[in-house]
Amino acid sequence: MRRRLFLSVLTTLVLALGVVAPVAGQGDVKQVTLLHYFSGELGFDALSQIFNNFKASHPDYIVLTNPVGHEEFKTQILIMLAGDEPPDIFSYWAGARVQFVVDAGRLAPIDDLWESAGLDAVLPPAIVSGATIYNGQHYLVPFGYHYAGMFYNKQVFADAGITELPQTWDQFLEVCEKLKAAGVAPIALGSKNRWPAQFWFDYLLLRTAGPEYRADLMAGRASYTDPQVVRVMELWKELVDKGYFYPDANAYDWTDAGDLVAVGEAGMTLMGTWLTGYWDGTVGLVPGEDYDVFPFPVIDEGVPDAVVGPVDGWVLTAKAKHAEAAKELMAFLLTDTESQAIWAKGQGALAPNINVDTAIYSPVMIKALDIVKAADTFAFNYDLATTPPMAEGGLDMFARFMDDPSGYETYLQDTENVAKEVFGK
Amino acid sequence: MGKSLWLWRIGFLAVPLSVYTVVVVAPLLYSFYYSLTDWNGFSPNYNFVGLDNFQRIFRDPLFSNAIENTVIWMIAAIIIPTGGGLFLALMLHEGVRLANLYKSLFYFPISLSLAVIGQVWIWIYQPRWGLLNVVLREVGLGQYARAWLAKADSALPAVIAAWSWQQIGLAMVIFLAGLTAVPTELTEAAQIDGANRRQSLRYVVIPMLRPASIVVIALAVINSLKSFDVVYVMTKGGPFHSSDTLAMFMYNECFQKYYMGYGSASAVVLFLIALVVVAFYFVWQMRAMETIYE
Amino acid sequence: MNDAYRLTSDAATQQKVVPLQQRVVRLTLYALLTALVLIYSIPAFGVIITSFKSNGEIARHGLWSAPQQIRFDNYREAWYDGNVKTYTINSFKVTVPATIISILFGVLTGYVLSKLPFRGSQALFIFIVAGMFYPPQIVLIPLFRLFNEIKLYDTLYPMIIVHSAFGLSICTLLMRNFFATVPNALREAAIIDGANELQILLKVMLPLSLPALAVLATLQFTWIWNDFLWPLVFTQSDTKRTIMVGIITMRGQYSVAWGVQGAMSVIASLPTLFIFVFFQRYFIRGLTLGSVKG
Repeated sequence: MRRRLFLSVLTTLVLALGVVAPVAGQGDVKQVTLLHYFSGELGFDALSQIFNNFKASHPDYIVLTNPVGHEEFKTQILIMLAGDEPPDIFSYWAGARVQFVVDAGRLAPIDDLWESAGLDAVLPPAIVSGATIYNGQHYLVPFGYHYAGMFYNKQVFADAGITELPQTWDQFLEVCEKLKAAGVAPIALGSKNRWPAQFWFDYLLLRTAGPEYRADLMAGRASYTDPQVVRVMELWKELVDKGYFYPDANAYDWTDAGDLVAVGEAGMTLMGTWLTGYWDGTVGLVPGEDYDVFPFPVIDEGVPDAVVGPVDGWVLTAKAKHAEAAKELMAFLLTDTESQAIWAKGQGALAPNINVDTAIYSPVMIKALDIVKAADTFAFNYDLATTPPMAEGGLDMFARFMDDPSGYETYLQDTENVAKEVFGK
Repeated sequence: MGKSLWLWRIGFLAVPLSVYTVVVVAPLLYSFYYSLTDWNGFSPNYNFVGLDNFQRIFRDPLFSNAIENTVIWMIAAIIIPTGGGLFLALMLHEGVRLANLYKSLFYFPISLSLAVIGQVWIWIYQPRWGLLNVVLREVGLGQYARAWLAKADSALPAVIAAWSWQQIGLAMVIFLAGLTAVPTELTEAAQIDGANRRQSLRYVVIPMLRPASIVVIALAVINSLKSFDVVYVMTKGGPFHSSDTLAMFMYNECFQKYYMGYGSASAVVLFLIALVVVAFYFVWQMRAMETIYE
Repeated sequence: MNDAYRLTSDAATQQKVVPLQQRVVRLTLYALLTALVLIYSIPAFGVIITSFKSNGEIARHGLWSAPQQIRFDNYREAWYDGNVKTYTINSFKVTVPATIISILFGVLTGYVLSKLPFRGSQALFIFIVAGMFYPPQIVLIPLFRLFNEIKLYDTLYPMIIVHSAFGLSICTLLMRNFFATVPNALREAAIIDGANELQILLKVMLPLSLPALAVLATLQFTWIWNDFLWPLVFTQSDTKRTIMVGIITMRGQYSVAWGVQGAMSVIASLPTLFIFVFFQRYFIRGLTLGSVKG
């Protein structure tokens, strides 16, 4: 009470000093507030277009958007939720991160919307079961997703005399050897921010121990010192020891790794489809002519084929003030195929809505889509597959490994210690 | 007399202290409270865990690593920007031509956005075409070229260098202001007494700069304890925590791992350490200063 | 700008016969300063190059290669796209009042602590300065709740209030130290002339502390202007964004915006640079003392 009194005095003081600031907008019945991490030119322009479309078909709605850089977003959404003043909906990464917020009771299930908008009919079943359902209820409306694959420079491959893309591990090693002989670093990796290295761990584990074991590891039911994980690190170490990775991976960002491949100093990089957005837009490569993509090679026969990538979606907060209007918008963002197409093109993403015409994609993106369709499982990348504090420990391990792979046994032991603490083993 | 003096004191202090209490002290007490819980930041529920977080902190190798880095940072912060700023201020105070242009150029870094500056420093340290390595190779010191930000032993010094570069202008400004307080008569009198430039600097100017240097050093200590932005932009504490500072550690625990209770505990420890260090420093410096001016 | 000062100082040096040795010293000084300022300006120069290069050019050739052409596209984009004009106005709306209020607070508190000390004022001083040791990230949640409760969320007021409160520490520290250098005899003389404390503060103390005020104004303006943490957390509408928030949100999750960020940063640095140039005349020796005498 006294605090309020004091602050009103303070406010008056501020006002008295002649500061002009407009009063906060009044609440409209059909207003939706929305926080998202799609800042930056590409995301922002596409979203503005999409919201304009929404306004055109829903003239009585007001959408208040708030784009934040994606690192800052993590802080801000936590503060808004903890401060009991959340936006109605916000963008989030499907997987363990949504699970974390669901478990905290900060999100509202959207089963009714799922039913009424018929969302099952527009999504591939793998995405419905993998990305939208938490604790048995629907929580997330997918907006776009990405696929992590091996993007390579066609000219560099041709110059090194590579005529066929590798499908098995042995073929892959052969390709690396050829590239190295041609004087090019076979693989570029920019692990300065740690996460780009995770795709290597993900795929090596998925191609050897398989998706089920990986799910166990992510959930704390398996150990980082298991022989399965040790084998992954040994395979990875072999690549580093043979000099297949461009040196000093930790010095580069993922865009730097992209640049290395683009200018032909490296042959390929394992990265998400957003790389195409960077290459097509910023660097100016021609998809299908300058570069292409192939799936991570098979290592052990008989292991179910899995692809890795993140799913971006929208979630509804438990304290949303305009829940009904917000749901209307959420449904629109997925079911409106035009918006889905704008988004996919703008972000270099794949549209989860199956009715989106594939003609919007570049030849490389069509190939990525085909790879995803042919896969048995869609798995989230490491930092979205395991709980946030565990992900921190794992990402540290990858960065240490890229600096000096010889100590991998110690790193695994350290990571297992983190896992013990996180999962209370 | 005494009574009216109290009225003046209260009149002058009431508003600033009230605002300070509500906006700074009260939230601070909140975080003291969080430090006794296992709150994850998201959940409305949490458990009271007593001093568990504090016990854990002193066993956490990442925390002692962050302390170590922060101490290194603090020492560097006291020496480099302070020394550099003092040097520049003394040179520019000599009434050189174009002094204003020089001063503005030295101040320019502070006015640039850190997000952009951090990126440019990343490009200076870039191993392939980064300016530093290119220059080293040009002058025949190619063997020292390295991936500055990617190696555990050079990441922290590299970040501190970038930070110091920005901070020098700040120290320079405060010293320049301090120099204006040195009466011209004093230095002139010293010169008449036969003191050379260095002697008058040593015995007249430097002692008179004590108030300014207290501020500069206090700022250096405080900024090093809070050093976050530049680390965040350049390395995020990496590679593998080699450039973690206490503030970075706290941020990671709170907002990356969602250990809000534990992160708050680290902030409390940071606060207490700082309070002790600075309280001693101030009491000591204030005493010394008062003997000069009384 | 400082012509009057320069004239007198030049006249003063001309009166004396400048010995050769001193001229050599001067020349060395200039050479040293110029070399220093050139090396020192490289990173800032890097920011400027960035602002003239396309992202694609940086991606393909690195930052430090010679630009293929000077392009103003980034500036055009920074100015026309995005709400840079609104952002800049908002930055002013926050920075100007927050700078004034925090300095006002610092003057009041610093005066009491240095000239009207009382039992426990030393402790109060440390208590106030202690506010600087707290990493601000840790009080985000309680402060967010506070501003939300009093319905100031998504306005510009929270930033003004927070900067006024957090600025109290540094402003008090600086003002207290400066007031301490003003002889107590001046205050006593004014009391004999019948002045009260407010009059002493306004008529005696403030005119003497112009350099300190100028420094504070410069520093506070720069810090508040450059801050992006508070506006990021306390606002959500695009119409309430400040320029620094604008710069950091130029970059997307999977996209880069080096060029435009660089251009925006250069634009955003102009007000702080202008403030520095404007206030630095007060850092120059003699001017303030002279004006008081006259």
